[in-house]
Amino acid sequence: MSVAVTSQDAMLQASGVSIRFGGLKALTDFNLTVRQGDLLGLIGPNGAGKSTAFNVLTGVYQPTEGEVRVAGQKVNGWVPHQINHLGLARTFQNIRLFRALTALDNVKVACRAQGALHPVKLGQVAKVGTALRNYRDWWRALLLTPGFQREEHELTRQAEHLLEVMGLSHRRDEEAKNLPYGEQRRLEIARALGTRPKVLLLDEPAAGMNTREKADLMVLIRRLRDEFSLGVLVIEHDMKLVMGICETITVLDHGETIARGAPAEVRSDRKVIEAYLGDSYLESHGGAA
Amino acid sequence: MATPGATTLPDDMAGPIPPALRGLLPVLLALPVLALAEWTLGASPFATYLLSVVGVNIILAVSLNIVNGMTGQFSIGHAGFMAVGAYIAGVTSLSLKEVALSFLPVAASDQVLFVVALLAGGVCAALCGFLVGLPSLRLRGDYLAIVTLGFGEIIRVFVQNTEAFGRALGLSGIPQYSSVAMVYFWVFLVVLVARRIAGSSHGRSLWAIREDEVAAEAMGVDTTGYKVRAFVISSFFAGIAGGLFAHFVPIINPGSFTFVKSMEIVVMVVLGGLGSTTGAIVAAIFLTLLPEGLRSVFGYLGAEGSLAQKVDQIRMPVYGVLLVVLMLARPQGLFGTKELWDVLPRWLPRKKKGLS
Amino acid sequence: MSQLLQHLINGLASGTIYALVALGYTMVYGVLKLINFAHGDVMMVGVYMGYATAFALGREAQRSLWGVVIIFAVAMGGCALLGFLIERFAYRPLREKPRLTALITAIGISFALSYGFQLDIGFLPGASPRAFPEVIVPTEWFIIGDRDVVVWNWQVISFLIAVTLMVTLQFLVYRTRFGKAMRAVSWDHRTAALMGIPTDRIIALTFMLSSALAAGAGLLYAIKDTSVSPLMGLYVGLKAFVAAVIGGIGNVPGAVVGALLLGLVEEFVVGYAASTWRDAVAFGFLILVLLVKPGGLFGRVAAEKV
Repeated sequence: MSVAVTSQDAMLQASGVSIRFGGLKALTDFNLTVRQGDLLGLIGPNGAGKSTAFNVLTGVYQPTEGEVRVAGQKVNGWVPHQINHLGLARTFQNIRLFRALTALDNVKVACRAQGALHPVKLGQVAKVGTALRNYRDWWRALLLTPGFQREEHELTRQAEHLLEVMGLSHRRDEEAKNLPYGEQRRLEIARALGTRPKVLLLDEPAAGMNTREKADLMVLIRRLRDEFSLGVLVIEHDMKLVMGICETITVLDHGETIARGAPAEVRSDRKVIEAYLGDSYLESHGGAA
Repeated sequence: MATPGATTLPDDMAGPIPPALRGLLPVLLALPVLALAEWTLGASPFATYLLSVVGVNIILAVSLNIVNGMTGQFSIGHAGFMAVGAYIAGVTSLSLKEVALSFLPVAASDQVLFVVALLAGGVCAALCGFLVGLPSLRLRGDYLAIVTLGFGEIIRVFVQNTEAFGRALGLSGIPQYSSVAMVYFWVFLVVLVARRIAGSSHGRSLWAIREDEVAAEAMGVDTTGYKVRAFVISSFFAGIAGGLFAHFVPIINPGSFTFVKSMEIVVMVVLGGLGSTTGAIVAAIFLTLLPEGLRSVFGYLGAEGSLAQKVDQIRMPVYGVLLVVLMLARPQGLFGTKELWDVLPRWLPRKKKGLS
Repeated sequence: MSQLLQHLINGLASGTIYALVALGYTMVYGVLKLINFAHGDVMMVGVYMGYATAFALGREAQRSLWGVVIIFAVAMGGCALLGFLIERFAYRPLREKPRLTALITAIGISFALSYGFQLDIGFLPGASPRAFPEVIVPTEWFIIGDRDVVVWNWQVISFLIAVTLMVTLQFLVYRTRFGKAMRAVSWDHRTAALMGIPTDRIIALTFMLSSALAAGAGLLYAIKDTSVSPLMGLYVGLKAFVAAVIGGIGNVPGAVVGALLLGLVEEFVVGYAASTWRDAVAFGFLILVLLVKPGGLFGRVAAEKV
């Protein structure tokens, strides 16, 4: 899996992905490419299939057709943690922090999970050796070997750094559930960064934020992309935010991609206006069409 | 910054205790204490028996807490793994009865064989834990409850149909190798393991699974793998507890490891607080001594002799009602996920706040 | 050959009884996503109610058609009430709590009932099994050859009762307003509540219905076994649950097929291998199914909504 990847290669690529739940086509022929440094948006009315797309990309759902590649590796049939190890991290629309853990531990979970363990594929009983190596790892924790203590220390340091980047240092030892809403969203991003991703998927990061916080978030997302050399894909309802930061926007409706392009193009696309933005948008923005 | 593989340690890790020693220090401290305990208590058979039962229950509760508390799964078949450990260790000891290690004094040789038998039981129980855990832990939590329960039944039926395990009559004549010191050495070990797991990155992954499995998986935690490993470790100690048990009771039979026993352990863990190791210990001690206490109180009062006998009978439905009441009134149990030192009065020395 | 036929008949007879209990698990799981561990024990309580009624009626009356109807009515009605009380006071307060709390509560209720009934204090019956009265006097209705294949009247009657109850249930779930509401609650109880469906009432009714079915099944089982004991709920309940999982929990026809399959497998193990292994079969079968087809034969493993 250690394919040399240049910055021009696609870090995340979906080609012809469709997914059906029973008779319902939730996503049809979905194509998307995320490269390092990209800042892409995914929009569409409620129920258009945005979250479904995220779930297919991250391995929560399996595509009925088509393929998903992460860092060049085809990941159809993989489980989410394996895909995460390839460099794809996400946040959740309805915040899913480890509520009873401290902010620091939330991030440390993610830092640790990356790399150190040896994934065992289910059903491959032959890989007893790999499985046993995982147990050896536990023994190191039980015996508190110096190497293990050093590793723990290193994890703490990394996690503290990420908290600092997200402006959460003062919340280090606070339980996640006690954080205010906006900080919980930022902690989720810190946690996602802990897995050292190449591509970051943000699911409605601005939901519930006020105008001021949204403005800060726009700056932050750009900064993260540059500082961590990420490709970023954002699902967002807030048009101002998406139009403001995304270079390319993909519009979904009823599971189908109805438009793709720069914010200006998308904004004036007839299909998009019909399907999504509607009259109210035309009124408030002086009628782009 | 410490680079991987560097031999120097960061400054703040230096302390009065060299890091290399920190891992083993508790063991070195515990051994003389145990020796002292054995020396003072060895005289009274009743105290020895009662302490051993308490110890075995602590091992069971603390090990079950790793799965039910820390990982948020729900196993209700711990007695099944205990049975595996008890029978395997018992049979091992029986077949090695005549063997003596010539280079050791008899007592020492017996203890070595005892440990071998215990480990055999523990490893077999761990193996069973793996076989049972793998299919059910891939699925949602409730399946584990059913499958572990079923596993207990399979073990019972298997034992009842196997000549080598004495069928329904059970195994008797297992050498009584056990001692208070040995039981409490394992108590100490399981507590150490539970606490060290809880405080390590593995423990954090387990907590994460307990809090939100979907999120943990998305953050790269191999949830199935962690769950299975937690389950295997938990089963191992249940097997050890069974092995110890088999070596201080006169007879083991399938009746010692029924659903009732499993439920007793579950009640201990839930009462102590899912996720609290010290809570499990306190609850295990309390729930083991309570019936004994009630029995002797009733016995002392004399008049109600039949009531003393009913203590055992009444215990079971009371456990059930206790679970329901706990869930409605205080679902986090006595301590929640906290440890004893977190809930102690303020003037006592406290550890840092937080889960680990 | 005739032996095979006999086993088939016996297997189907016990399978239909399992099916009735399994349906209760599946329905409750459908609306609450809760494994109602106490289901089997509610069934056991129902059987004791029927037992008490039969005694109150006396030897003659209990064998008349009306006697049997009264016994079933009392047991099923009493269980419906019990199911209602359990749901109202134990499960409803926990509905928005983590799923584990409800599961532990269910296990607690199961334990309290099955071991509470083993006490011999007051009206409680005590641990030892009791002979269940022959409310349906056993008669051989259909014999092939020299008693090669025997079909008993109670087998046919219980089969008919079970099938009638199942058809009624099918009608109720798919053809009535209540059924529609129940399926809506099962899909998403919050949205259902927003749509004006009285969620609490639907869930309570589902509990009552499943408890009543269990009581009926329990009586049939007791008639077949001619005994009743406090632990029968635990065993029959567990096997029925296994049947529901094998069929794919939450899936109504799946529960029936799973139960018939389990009844047959058990019967064949008893007939061709050793009867002492009977109780282990169900769980061995369960672990096998979970390994090969984790969602059950007809179910899908539903991914949690993210």
